Order: sequence, then structure tokens, then C-alpha cells
Amino acid sequence: MIRLDDVTKAFRRGRDVEVVALDAISLEVTKGEFVFVVGPSGSGKSTFMRLLTREQIADSGEVWVAGKNLKKLRRWKVPLLRREIGYVFQDFKLLPNKTVRENVAFALEVIGRGRKEIRARVPEVLELVGLTEKAESLPHELSGGQQQRVSIARAFVNNPRLLLCDEPTGNLDPATSVGIMKLLDRINRTGTTVVMATHDQQIVDSMRRRVVELEDGRIVRDQVRGVYGYGA
Amino acid sequence: MARWRYVLVEALLGLRRNLMMSFAVVLSVTVSLTLLGASLLLSEQVELATDDWTGRVEVSIFLCDDRACPAITTQQRQQLEDDLTANPVVSEVFYESKREAYDRFTRLFADQPTLIDAIDVSTLPASFRVKLENPQLFGVIRDQFAAYPGVEEIVDQRDVLNQFLRFTTLVRNGALVIALIQLLAAGVLIANTIRVAAFSRREQTAIMKLVGASNWYVRLPFVVEGIIAGALGAGLSWGALYYAVPRVTRDLSREVELLPFIGVDQVIAIAPLMLLVGVGIAAVSSTLALRRFLQV
Repeated sequence: MIRLDDVTKAFRRGRDVEVVALDAISLEVTKGEFVFVVGPSGSGKSTFMRLLTREQIADSGEVWVAGKNLKKLRRWKVPLLRREIGYVFQDFKLLPNKTVRENVAFALEVIGRGRKEIRARVPEVLELVGLTEKAESLPHELSGGQQQRVSIARAFVNNPRLLLCDEPTGNLDPATSVGIMKLLDRINRTGTTVVMATHDQQIVDSMRRRVVELEDGRIVRDQVRGVYGYGA
Repeated sequence: MARWRYVLVEALLGLRRNLMMSFAVVLSVTVSLTLLGASLLLSEQVELATDDWTGRVEVSIFLCDDRACPAITTQQRQQLEDDLTANPVVSEVFYESKREAYDRFTRLFADQPTLIDAIDVSTLPASFRVKLENPQLFGVIRDQFAAYPGVEEIVDQRDVLNQFLRFTTLVRNGALVIALIQLLAAGVLIANTIRVAAFSRREQTAIMKLVGASNWYVRLPFVVEGIIAGALGAGLSWGALYYAVPRVTRDLSREVELLPFIGVDQVIAIAPLMLLVGVGIAAVSSTLALRRFLQV
């Protein structure tokens, strides 16, 4: 599903200072895996995620996602890549003037799906995330956990092969986070690959899934049934 | 179908969301296109006044027809034509019979029947119409041919038209220059407005991009927003010309006799061009405005 071969990405800050965000990373994630990407701020987690959606392009090395070599991917084909990826943000990024149903439907509308399909698919996904009752609510009427469920519903409504979650529990309290993790686990069990960048030690420890730890742009650990830190 | 509705709804929402800016855009497009249209119409006016025939003629040699002087004989006419053709200063010579002169007159003043009623086929003299290698050499022609038998009068046609043409051309060029500057300003204003619109909807745009909306799906609402404003401006300016031009030329034709003026037909004829320019400038400037902003 994902393969990185010797990938380096650096950013220029100022004239001569270069910050190496990812330093010769190699990594493979197979279909259906659930992977935590952990590490302190500035360790390269965000850059890693952005390379996968091709918001950024690696300086060297190859990035493969869903069978596509992103370096060779033509620009007009980038939207097609992104239709195979669902993206969940830390701050939900819901459209405030659209209802829950409209927010989820929006993701299908803007890729040109038919109204019939939208009308059939959106309730299904809302049921999956447990928000059938809130379909006509506006985002500000929901709790943080509920908003994140909407965000997940929107990411998943298109049945992506890969779900990328950038600190999805970062703005939520521990109890709510557990619910979100259960939901992501359920989605993972449908065969969707899930990659989740997180700081949340408790969650990583409790899930016992693969953990990839980044530090200063390098992979310092890749553990099959890992915990957040060695000391934990 | 659903896509186009989405694009249109988003575009209209965008226009409404930023009503003051939309108003400014429509207004500036209207002003610039009105000026552009006016300069186009002035060109039409110049062309009409110096129609195919008159425009090519610089000197008219009017021939005697028994009114002011004894009618020219066929032989004299032939002699005159041969000498004109042989003259190095002359580049072209046409003969215009009385009948042709009358026909041209009625065609030129088709909308002023009182003028036509006042003459008949015999009123206007036959003439040689002469184009010179260099229009400044009128004096040479006059000196050489004024004394020819059967020549009634030699007229420098440019004198008649020049004053009018010089003025009209000046106004037209002025209008054109201002129109182009205004058009540029309108383009910049459109670009800026679209950029503000895109910025105010950047979250929606970011989400669209991440869920895989194609570039055109992201951009089109903004471009269409610009195009609607441009088309609206084009429509308004055309309406203004449609209203004003026939009224102005009608008044003018009362003041300035013996000159044909453009009417509503010419205004209708420039409608597609004005729409094209209005829509084109809006499409180009909004596309340029979005190029960097909405890059994937």
C-alpha cells in the first residue's frame, strides 16, 4: 500500500539553513495494516503524511502509494490518488455552514459522484460512525468527539484504500479518544489501511499495533506490536 | 448536470458573499467596455463617412453639364482622362457618371429622405475621381487641369472630410487608450476579487483538494464568478450604448447635414465582440489569479 525507498525531504529556512525533515527513510506498509507513527514535534511525522498525499514531493528516493510512484505521477492525476486516500485532521476541518450530512456528502459531490449514490452512501457512513441522529446538525452543535466522527465519515465515505489520520485525538479528552480509536479500528477491519500520526501514548500502548518512531527525520524504531516508548 | 449546478451555485454564492466587490467589478467592466464600444463605433462612423468610394478619392474634377458652363464633349472628356492617366502624380482615376453620383448619394443618405427628394439624376455633376501618389500634390493637379475645357471645378476632397475625420479619429483613439487602461484596471480588480474570494473559501478549497476534487472542479466556481461579473458588465455597457448612440447620432445628423451617421445596427453588430472581451478579460484574469493560489 505504501512504500518509501530512501526518501529524503529537506526544507530551506532562511538563506543557508536547511532543515532535514526526513533523512533517507525506507518503510513499507502492506494492505490492511494499522500503523502508528510516533515521535516528538518536528520529528518528521507531518512531512511523512504530506508526502503520502503528494502535498509535498520527496527531494530524493521514491514514494509509492496505492501502486503509484508519486514522483512520476502527473499533476492532473493527483486528484485521482487522493480519491484513494481518506484524510482525518486534528482540527476536524468541517465546513461550519454545512450540516453533518452535507459535510459528508460534500466529499462525494466534489469528485462528481451522482446524487443517487450520494443519497445511498452518506447515511451508511453516518451510521457506521454513530451519527445518524445528528445528520442535520451543524458542526458547532456537536461535541469534539462527534465532530471528529463526522471528519472520519467524510474521509471514509468514498471507501478509500488508505486512511491517513494526523493526530485525530489531539484535541479530544481520553474517554472520547477511546471511542474514536474503536471507530478507526473498525474501519481498519474492513480492510482499509490506517496510518495514524500521534502523540497519544496511552492510545498507542493500549492498541498494541505496529509502531514506527521518528526522531530527527530518521526511523529509530519499527515494532510490530509496539508501545509508545521503550520505557513504557 | 449536477456538477454544473454546483459550479453555478457556488459562483453566485461567491458574488453575493462579496457584494461590494462584485459591484465594483461589474462597474469597472461596464465603464471600460462602454469606452471600448464607443471607440469601436467611432471607427464605424469614420468608415461610413469615408465609404469605399470617397475614401479612395482625394481629388474630384467636376465636369460641365450646361449649368455653369457648356457641357463637356466626349472628345474633351477622353482627352482629360488620357492626360490624367498619363500624369505621374496620379495613381488612380475613376469616372463617375451623373447616374452613379446620384446612386451613391441616395445610398449614403438613405436615412435622410428630404435630402434625396431635393435632387434628381441630373442634379449632381459627373466627375473624375482621382487618387494621387501623394495627397499633398493637389496643387499640381489643380494648376494643370483647371483650365481644361469642360472642367467646372476641381475640389480637394480631403478638405471636406479631414476636419471631421481628424476630430473623430482623435476622440476614437482617446477612447481606445482610456478603454484599454480601464480594461487593464478591470482585469486587475477581477483578479484581486477572485483571489479574495478564493482566500475566504480556502478551507473549503483545502478539503476539496484533499478529497480529490479535480483542479477544474476547485477552480471553476471562481472563474465562473468572474465570468458572470464580466458578462454583466458587458451587458450593461452594451445597453448604455444601445440607448445612447442612436439618440446622439440622430441629434448630430440634424446639426451636420450631408454626412451619414451610424445607427442602432452598428451597435447591435458590436454586441458579440463586447461580450467576448468582457467574458474574456474576466476568464483570463481570474484564471491567472487562481493559478498560484490553488495549486495542488
